[in-house]
Amino acid sequence: MIRSPAILVDTTRCTGCEECVDACKQVNDLGADRLRPGQEGVDGLSSTRFTTILRRPGDHFVKQQCRHCLEPTCVSVCLVGAMQKTPEGPVIYDSDLCIGCRYCLTACPYGIPRYEWDESVPYVRKCTLCYPRLKEGKRPACVDACPHEALLFGTRDEMLREAHRRLKANPERYLPHVFGEKEVGGTSVLYLADISLGFLGWGGHLGDEPMPPLSWASLKKVPPVIVGMSTLMGGIYWVIRRRMQLAAKAAEGEIAAMEAGGAEGAGGPDEDTPAPDPVTSRPEGSDHE
Amino acid sequence: MSDRLTNLKTILWTLVGVLAAVSVVRFTRGLGSVTNLSDAAPWGLWIGFDVMSGVALAAGGFVLAATVHIFGLKRYHGFLRPAILTAWLGYAAVAVGLLYDLGLPWRIWHPILHWQHRSVLFEVALCVMLYLSVLTLEFAPAILEHPLLDKRFLRGILRILKKATIPLVIAGIVLSTLHQSSLGSLFLITPYRLHPLWYSHIIYVLFFVSAVALGLMMVVLESLLSAYFFRHEVHTRELAGLGLAASVVLWIYVALRLGDLALRGVLGMAVDGSWHGALFVAELGLSAVIPATLMLSRRVRESRAGMAVAAAFTVSGMVLYRLDVSIFAFLRPPGFGYHPSWEELAVSVGIVSAFALLFIFFVERLKVYEDVSRRPRSEDEPKPSYDPSTVRRLQPRTLAAPGRFTGAALAGAAVALLFLPVRGSERTPSPVVAARSVEGESLDRGPARTHALVFAALDSAEAVTRARTTALPGMTGRSTGAFPGSRAPLEKTTLLLLVDGNQDGYAVLFDHEAHKERLGGDTSCVMCHHLNLPPEANTPCASCHRDMYDSTQVFDHAQHIAALDGNEGCVQCHAQGVKVKSYATSTACSKCHVEPVATDPVIPAAPDRWPKAEGYMEAMHGLCVTCHKREVQRHPDKYPADLAECGTCHDADRAAQLRELEPARDRAVLSRPPDGLPAAGRDARTEGAGPDSHGTPAASATGAFPGAGGRQTP
Repeated sequence: MIRSPAILVDTTRCTGCEECVDACKQVNDLGADRLRPGQEGVDGLSSTRFTTILRRPGDHFVKQQCRHCLEPTCVSVCLVGAMQKTPEGPVIYDSDLCIGCRYCLTACPYGIPRYEWDESVPYVRKCTLCYPRLKEGKRPACVDACPHEALLFGTRDEMLREAHRRLKANPERYLPHVFGEKEVGGTSVLYLADISLGFLGWGGHLGDEPMPPLSWASLKKVPPVIVGMSTLMGGIYWVIRRRMQLAAKAAEGEIAAMEAGGAEGAGGPDEDTPAPDPVTSRPEGSDHE
Repeated sequence: MSDRLTNLKTILWTLVGVLAAVSVVRFTRGLGSVTNLSDAAPWGLWIGFDVMSGVALAAGGFVLAATVHIFGLKRYHGFLRPAILTAWLGYAAVAVGLLYDLGLPWRIWHPILHWQHRSVLFEVALCVMLYLSVLTLEFAPAILEHPLLDKRFLRGILRILKKATIPLVIAGIVLSTLHQSSLGSLFLITPYRLHPLWYSHIIYVLFFVSAVALGLMMVVLESLLSAYFFRHEVHTRELAGLGLAASVVLWIYVALRLGDLALRGVLGMAVDGSWHGALFVAELGLSAVIPATLMLSRRVRESRAGMAVAAAFTVSGMVLYRLDVSIFAFLRPPGFGYHPSWEELAVSVGIVSAFALLFIFFVERLKVYEDVSRRPRSEDEPKPSYDPSTVRRLQPRTLAAPGRFTGAALAGAAVALLFLPVRGSERTPSPVVAARSVEGESLDRGPARTHALVFAALDSAEAVTRARTTALPGMTGRSTGAFPGSRAPLEKTTLLLLVDGNQDGYAVLFDHEAHKERLGGDTSCVMCHHLNLPPEANTPCASCHRDMYDSTQVFDHAQHIAALDGNEGCVQCHAQGVKVKSYATSTACSKCHVEPVATDPVIPAAPDRWPKAEGYMEAMHGLCVTCHKREVQRHPDKYPADLAECGTCHDADRAAQLRELEPARDRAVLSRPPDGLPAAGRDARTEGAGPDSHGTPAASATGAFPGAGGRQTP
């Protein structure tokens, strides 16, 4: 199969006929839509709808589906590696590994993965870019089904080239931006549009920075924390014990001196600790938290 | 026998009873049945409270262990065991809470085998597992000291554990540092979803510092509570020490939090009057500013009430911090709000109650509190039933208390059962979904759930007498009188259409054959099937009517291209010279599709252009009611006067009839077609009469679409 397959969605050609949705449902054997309470319409994706057409004011139709990011967030957050980036490019899901924590749903910047909330044995569901079909040398079902050539399929480089060619050839037809070329590190589903597609990402805008390094910023500190914290704690423990021993010895000496000389000299700093055991007596300077 | 402790236990047992009832539904019917979680709110109360807050609330264990063992502040030794016990049970409660929240809880061990070291959650999972083990070892001496376990072998283990105290404590501190902070790091990956007042690049530092303060104040709260319930003396001076330390840490936390906001330039959002701004101010005040200010005063620190108030503030405020990050400040699209269901609350509260009972169990039987001086007992107060030092009962065993607790738990469960959804989760009025015809493979899922439209076949004796048909239109010639894979020949069945656009089980029962006969037999298809495909092969209504209420584009461009010889054909619709090739600039459909086939169609003749198909409801009503009205006017003698009224078709009795059909449907002829094709739509396409051709009546009547099937099955 081809390396880094990609879909170019030319939203100006989409009429919203949803043949792609039908084809997707058939190929993935999804059956009828089943909605969660409170979820109005099938505007969004669901566990039985891996792709859908978002209807924007003014008869604009935008195909919604997994973007198969070049640096997928869902793959980076999955703690058991159930979400996987295949060497070819599509992001797929191994239901045998999944434990159902739903971190992928929480983390995806496009809000794509869906959960089977009404199953007692639920799984995450999302588009696989028809990975099985790609392996057979076929194209994704939605691309095959599109009657209006709104979907184009090829390698990501080809699609980018074609997108920029169209932008150049028809500058009045499109906004001058290939959505998905750079967003969150680049995606395998690219969009040309005559409306702003910011709404496809959470919060209305996505940066160009890939997401996984955000977690890595904290994760890479784990080894230093382990070494540093154990050394620090061990060190403090050793120092304080040493000081206590010295203090105890000094106290003993003092007591011995007192007993020998009978002179004054008691009344140390430990009035508040009634315990006679020298180890439990609190030396000065150990008040820090 | 009704002292404070017994009352408390009764309440806790009641809540555990509620938990038990909810658990049954949770684990048999799935997350959706009891939670308000959704794809827009994948994490809710169980993550926000049970896991994130639970771990933070159990921070007292490592903070106190560090205080006593590492910093050598031995005067706090009396707080250590209760703190370790709280932490141990707290983490166990987190694990139990996770079992409720995970979709596949029996795989909770997967992170041990399947490592994915780039996931923060993996680090949290591993640390929590390890720390739970460390805590078990840290608390084990308290159990092994029990006189019943005074065996030589166990004494050996006890000795080893006591020797290993310092390494265990250090391991605990390291693990806690890691995962207390990492619970915050979980949200580093959601910069677009977490409100800027909470999203921070140092969120893990904030989580760690706040956990330290919270740990200290939890120790305070826990010791005040146990002093109340177990009537212990309060160690006011030590509490004051903890309070002072907590105050310092809280001020550090406040400085970090505000400094971070200021550096990122979003401090203004806190006071812009928005809901999130108010929430932030309330949270920071409750969790840190107010208690930290209170505890600056020595009088507050040394008063029981003062420390109780400060502890309550910090604990609730820090829990709110976790809930904010995971729920309240987590942005969702409008219309997709989240609030926990009562079942979610019941599970959270129930788990806390169960572990509070375990806490009491251990306190009553083990030496958790060292050299506690009990306050003098009043005369009427019952003596404890159990002496931990001798493991002897001080009072004869009575059934009064256990009976009371059992009763409380059963009552709780019974009340909860009354309110639990035995129903499936409710469905909103939904769009029409791909209807399947007889071959539909998913018919066994039940008509109400998946089907707008199914054929039901009866093979009962009564139905046989009503049988009127040998085949469906379009099905003739496919097989020998029976559907593929059927057990009963069709002659013995009558076919009814269940029209259920709402998918709520209240279908309209439609006698297809009777209508067909009435309208003139095999030639009558076009009367209703308005875009009449000549072999009307059960085209699913939903292939055009996508939405209950919305109209849908039905024109199939590709089919036309194929039928009009590819690129050569463009100009037949898009006249030469028109640059923008769109629906608006093309010629009208009726230019080619001139002859409506039906002379007396139910649906009026198509206009110039075929606009969009009606919404499903409109289409159905338009189709049926028009004819009913007309017929009842033309033949008042033949039809009942209410033929065109709603209740005639939308009949509650019909729904009952429908339910009676279900067993028959299962027995009947419905099964996969032999070639394994899943749905009728596809079947129809391979025969060359795709549902796509809906938009092209006359042309399809002449069978002029060779490409229709080919495109679908390349």
